[in-house]
Amino acid sequence: MKAKGITPFSARRFGAVVAVAFALVATTLPSATASGEVFGKACSTEGISTGQSTTSLICTMGSNGKLTWTRVRLGSSSAKPVAALKAQPGTIEFHHWRPEDKVVLQSIIDKFEALNPGVHINQVIMNSVDYTNLAYAKISVNKKAALFVTSRGGQFDQFMAGGLMKDISSNRYISQNVISSALTPATVAGRVYGVPYQSLFNNPLYNSEMFAKNGWTVPTTWSQTLAFCKTAKAKGIIPFAWPAATRGNAGQIMNSFLMNSAPDLATLTSRIAAIDTGKADLTSDWFVEIAKKYKAMNDAGCFPDNVTGYNDTVAPADFASGKAAIYPTGTFGMSTVTKLNPSMVGKMKMMGLITVDTKPLYQGITNNTFILSVNAKSTTRDQSIANAFLSFLATAPIAQEYAVGTSQHVSIINVDYAANIDLLNTSDIMGKKLLLAPRFLFVNVGTVRNPLEDALIAIGGGADITKTLADTSKTIKQSLGA
Amino acid sequence: MAFPAFALYSFLYLYPSFSNIYYSFQRWDGVTKPEFVGLHNFTYLASNDDLFMKVLGNNFRFSFIVVIFQTLLALLFATFLLKNTKTTVALRIVFFFPTILSSVSVGLIWTFLYDPNFGFINAMFKAVGLDGLALNWLGDGKYSLYAIALTQIWFHTGQMVVIYVAGLQQIPQELYEAAEVDGASRWQQFKSITWPMALPTTAVVVAYTTIQTFRAFDLVYSMTQGGPLNSSDVLVTLIYNTAFSSYKWGYASAQSIILVFVVLLLTYLQRRTLRINTGEK
Repeated sequence: MKAKGITPFSARRFGAVVAVAFALVATTLPSATASGEVFGKACSTEGISTGQSTTSLICTMGSNGKLTWTRVRLGSSSAKPVAALKAQPGTIEFHHWRPEDKVVLQSIIDKFEALNPGVHINQVIMNSVDYTNLAYAKISVNKKAALFVTSRGGQFDQFMAGGLMKDISSNRYISQNVISSALTPATVAGRVYGVPYQSLFNNPLYNSEMFAKNGWTVPTTWSQTLAFCKTAKAKGIIPFAWPAATRGNAGQIMNSFLMNSAPDLATLTSRIAAIDTGKADLTSDWFVEIAKKYKAMNDAGCFPDNVTGYNDTVAPADFASGKAAIYPTGTFGMSTVTKLNPSMVGKMKMMGLITVDTKPLYQGITNNTFILSVNAKSTTRDQSIANAFLSFLATAPIAQEYAVGTSQHVSIINVDYAANIDLLNTSDIMGKKLLLAPRFLFVNVGTVRNPLEDALIAIGGGADITKTLADTSKTIKQSLGA
Repeated sequence: MAFPAFALYSFLYLYPSFSNIYYSFQRWDGVTKPEFVGLHNFTYLASNDDLFMKVLGNNFRFSFIVVIFQTLLALLFATFLLKNTKTTVALRIVFFFPTILSSVSVGLIWTFLYDPNFGFINAMFKAVGLDGLALNWLGDGKYSLYAIALTQIWFHTGQMVVIYVAGLQQIPQELYEAAEVDGASRWQQFKSITWPMALPTTAVVVAYTTIQTFRAFDLVYSMTQGGPLNSSDVLVTLIYNTAFSSYKWGYASAQSIILVFVVLLLTYLQRRTLRINTGEK
């Protein structure tokens, strides 16, 4: 990846930004157009991007501190995407945990079946909690489950260890249709075992209309965040509609608290690993500092009253109805908000939650929602159907249908997001320096991450830091020893 | 003739039960080969697992509250709904109605009712000036278990009313007529006739309710997932998390063996107590 018109030093810096930003999304239409700016002029908003195919421009802060358009090349290693593979007749199951994607996926399946007579793909859908807990047990004994999804990290590793992941490295659509750096979470020892299909950004959504109306600026430092909370609360607005009673979405905010908590990624990774393996306690200085920030947000009135009883049904409703300014979950929350209140279309934008007052190491979070893989234990014919369908999903028009239909970004090149204003409006986060969601570096989900998140939620609700962390540390250590 | 039924029973019940006993002596993550660890899982549970002990305590409290209040309420309602008039039959249906609902639906409905900021329960308290009782029902560890217990009572009392009505209708009417001739009050009739004669039914109701409270997974999971900070966790939710979130299947098997023994012990003690009261041998 090379940026023209900038020094080699800057190219490296931009390379890091761009690798993260554009590894996950193929193209974005000019957000400049959406925001009323004219592409071609000097950029004024960091992160605004443009581009139709395999190259794109991004408005980025240069080493001289000035915003400039930088031409970047997208992550695919080959410029020319390939067409979808043909499938032999047969019936397979496609296991996933995205009930909200059922309709759009069925539409795509119908198209695939029409192109491949005799092929039938049946969706088998569980909710995400059940899928996390039961999918391995079910799929490992079901050869018909030829195509399935896994979450990055623990679940992907579990399926790998169980020998369920087929190596799909040699397929041309892998090297030519998928943004190469997006493949990282599904790559083991240089071999690709899946397509991390949907890209999302686990950062707070804010109501841009409300911010503009009140003359608020989006906070970019920790002090500004706390000050904003006080300002918004004084106006009777819930600053952060944090759904603390629903652990899954309440935990998203932890990504932001982790991302700038260590001097570098290696240190952050090692600290997380130390807690995950029981070598360090939650009472370590590093983690106590994180917990203190949850408490500080509570003290500053950032969260709604009785936040530990505030669930993820009420939170998006408050955000959608204008009672809350910020919904701190991620891009995946946008469709819920617009379903609750269609007039919110086009009003949501994305911000990074910065928990430091110094220059942040990272400005936001990104993640792969799920990785699509072919079952290594299925029959050869069923594997070929699953692989062909995967190649079909990796074509730009189909990926675009999925992206627009689900309001999510995808890791396939040449996708045009013009049909979804919310995707365009939130695409500016892609121009920032993003970290792959560190929450998922805790691989001991039940033993470590869940109790740890419960502790932070309790602290965010006002519980005593020292006692909560000490008690939870003890529980975690005992559970790890069992 | 009995073979197909026994084969089915063996496949669906005996095999999983014996497998569970087998795995309780193993360390197993559900993927790799199980490793025999003898009694380690049980000794660790007894000596090193504070969470298990806390959750066991939660479950005893949950059971105690539900068994006492559900049984008393069911008996009370049944005594009022004993006669087969149109009104009482209609009321029995009304009381029984929650039982036919899905437990997850019940959990979600009550989660809305308990919502601390917008829920009906707090709104009701505030409307009558009892703001101090408008609590964070499910979000505060001090109340979450009791809030779920109340939901459980609402959910299953109607079922027990039906069992009690069937039991109480077996009591000979002549006994009440004789008591009335002797000038016994309604309370004396209840104390001397209804309660002793209802004890066999009570034994069934108490045993059934106890078992229900030790398998109240769906209600707890849909309302709090055991939180906050395990304050509303019960044994079945803990076992589920141990097996399916922590992937400690052997350890979860040991926990479930303890659960079986707890239920067996409680049922035995209840039966024994009620037998003493009824004079059964």
